Amino acid sequence: MTGARGRILESIRSGLVRAALPSAEHAGVPDAKAGRGGSIEAMVERFGAVLTALSGRVHRAASPEVPALVADIAAAHGVRSFLAWDETELGCPGLLEGLAARGLARVDYRMPTDPDARIRLAQALEPIGLGVTGGHAAIAENGAVVLVSGPGRGRLVSLLPAVHVAIVSERRLRPTLADLVREEPRLLDAGSNVVLVAGPSRTADIEMALSHGVHGPKHVHVVLTA
Amino acid sequence: MSDAARAFHQRIDAALADRALGDALALTTGRLAGGRAAAMAAFADAEAARDEARRIRAAAIARLDQLLERFEREATARGCRVHWAETAADATRIVTAIAQEARVTLAVKSKSMVSEEIELNAALERSGVRVVETDLGEFVVQIAGDRPSHIITPIIHRSRHDVARLFREKANAAPEDVADIPAMTAFARRTLRAEFLQAGMGISGANVAVAETGTVCLVTNEGNGRLTTTLPRVHVALVGIERIVPSAADLAAVLSLLARSATGQALSVYTSLISGPRRAGAGPGPAKGGEPDGPDDVHVVFVDNGRSRLLGGPLAEILYCIRCGACLNVCPVYQKVGGHAYGGVYPGPVGSVVMPGLLGLEAWSELAQASSLCGACREACPVRIDLPRLLLEVRRQAAAKRLAPRWLRVAMPVYAAVARRPRLYRSAVAAAGLLGRMVAKGGWIRWLPGPLGAWTASRDFPAPATRSFLQQHRLRKEAAR
Ligand code: SF4
Repeated sequence: MTGARGRILESIRSGLVRAALPSAEHAGVPDAKAGRGGSIEAMVERFGAVLTALSGRVHRAASPEVPALVADIAAAHGVRSFLAWDETELGCPGLLEGLAARGLARVDYRMPTDPDARIRLAQALEPIGLGVTGGHAAIAENGAVVLVSGPGRGRLVSLLPAVHVAIVSERRLRPTLADLVREEPRLLDAGSNVVLVAGPSRTADIEMALSHGVHGPKHVHVVLTA
Repeated sequence: MSDAARAFHQRIDAALADRALGDALALTTGRLAGGRAAAMAAFADAEAARDEARRIRAAAIARLDQLLERFEREATARGCRVHWAETAADATRIVTAIAQEARVTLAVKSKSMVSEEIELNAALERSGVRVVETDLGEFVVQIAGDRPSHIITPIIHRSRHDVARLFREKANAAPEDVADIPAMTAFARRTLRAEFLQAGMGISGANVAVAETGTVCLVTNEGNGRLTTTLPRVHVALVGIERIVPSAADLAAVLSLLARSATGQALSVYTSLISGPRRAGAGPGPAKGGEPDGPDDVHVVFVDNGRSRLLGGPLAEILYCIRCGACLNVCPVYQKVGGHAYGGVYPGPVGSVVMPGLLGLEAWSELAQASSLCGACREACPVRIDLPRLLLEVRRQAAAKRLAPRWLRVAMPVYAAVARRPRLYRSAVAAAGLLGRMVAKGGWIRWLPGPLGAWTASRDFPAPATRSFLQQHRLRKEAAR
């Protein structure tokens, strides 16, 4: 459809010549918001308050404590097997081993390209109740964890199971998304799928009544590691 | 009155007569508008953020052609296929061809207003592809054979009892599946999960597109947007050509306002930033070391469908819109009649500009009459679009095209001629005031004689003050002296 492409661009260009747009005053003002945000403690507090209000759960733990914490969460939901990112991508050495030692079985997967095989594998993964990921960063202002897809970092891990646990170092907290982007202008190129997750899945489509877990996880735990 | 106008007035009457609809509208618009107001009040930089977002949108539209070309280049480099659709029919043809080439028989869809605009579902079904709406509200709309009545919350016109009945009748729900709202939500999850797992294609819209990385940004609260763009092997994103911004920083600025304006959230639960299909590993062999999941093919379809034409005209400012729905929630007309009364895909103040702008004045200019020009929409709009000005412009164009009611076409030039002669104007105002007070009852004029009756047929008008604005103004000035 090169013809269509050319005609659309031509139509835009001729429109822009005539356009009755209100003046697009290009301010270019220095960003007053840059650099503010305060201490890690203040951000941990803010992040915790925001995510709790969204019905998410926030935990603080040293790395060695994380396996027991995650195993407790799994037990509370009656979960025996789980999906997870590769050990090197979780930012918590020894976590997978620790979970295995506590009787939890990790299911590794790779979606095939064959359509039918792909559907069969997706159906096989669906009943698994827990997914464990490692957050690239977290945003204090809105309670979001930033997950970047890549080798060893599957997207379904934070999506299919009813319970999602994300491990993030508290040093990776940033006040706002704008702050993170200012620091990492190429953030969107970190992976083919960068996703911000702010609490459990929710809907208010029926009579504005809030209910959780409509498509994504119903329970979201964020573990902030020191 | 034209046929379109008559149908519009009938829909408005029907909506006003529907008590349950009135209650639902009051609840929903009240909550959403209240949520927005609270979120903006708690947002320290709200006003500066609105200025910045407006500047970003204005600057993006001012070089739309370059940004689209940049997006195409960057997205293609990351493995996307970019298509261009001039019309709705072109867009549906492109998506249908993608589905057929990939031998897709089932497609799951995340909520997309552009897909409603181009009537994609019907076109796909005609070519043998079953389409399942996965947003809970849109799913209800689909099984009811209905239309969304709000661009953010599609089923505000339905009660929980309606939804329960539809689930029982159209989706084989058991009585316990519809016992309460959480049960209905769980039922929808189970039903739609099965579809997600089997679908060959996922169709989404785009809230924003980022040129510098060829990224499609999609926000949802339910997570259906993520499933739609992760499980199926093919993902097709429909992108209105005006949705674009240059950089990630611009995206962050727009996102800081989108959810706050829409629902009062600081951010939607899920923000997906998609730059191409899953990436293969560096090593040899099938997908060795590459990404374990995600679509193998991603298509972006740029949809024009009247937008570039709009750019050259006086309604161009509406292209800044980020489709947050805030103007619907604060509009006194929308609050009373709801989305269906407008008759088109986009209701409320934004729809009253977009529908005639995209699809033509003939069928749609009447929508712009459904506004009291109170300015609440302009106040709420995160990118400060001057909606009252645009609504007046639609009316002006309709009048110029002789689409306005005949009495108004006659009356307006008379008014203009009188208003240009100050002495004549003052005596005319005095006479009209006297006449007005004579026909008014209880401070309201509900009926006017002769051709003026067309105006009072759908409007009540406060009785004129005993002193005209000019008289009062003069008196005040004298008193101040
Ligand atoms: S016109 Fe403004 S308020 Fe209305 S939907 Fe668009 S951005 Fe939101």
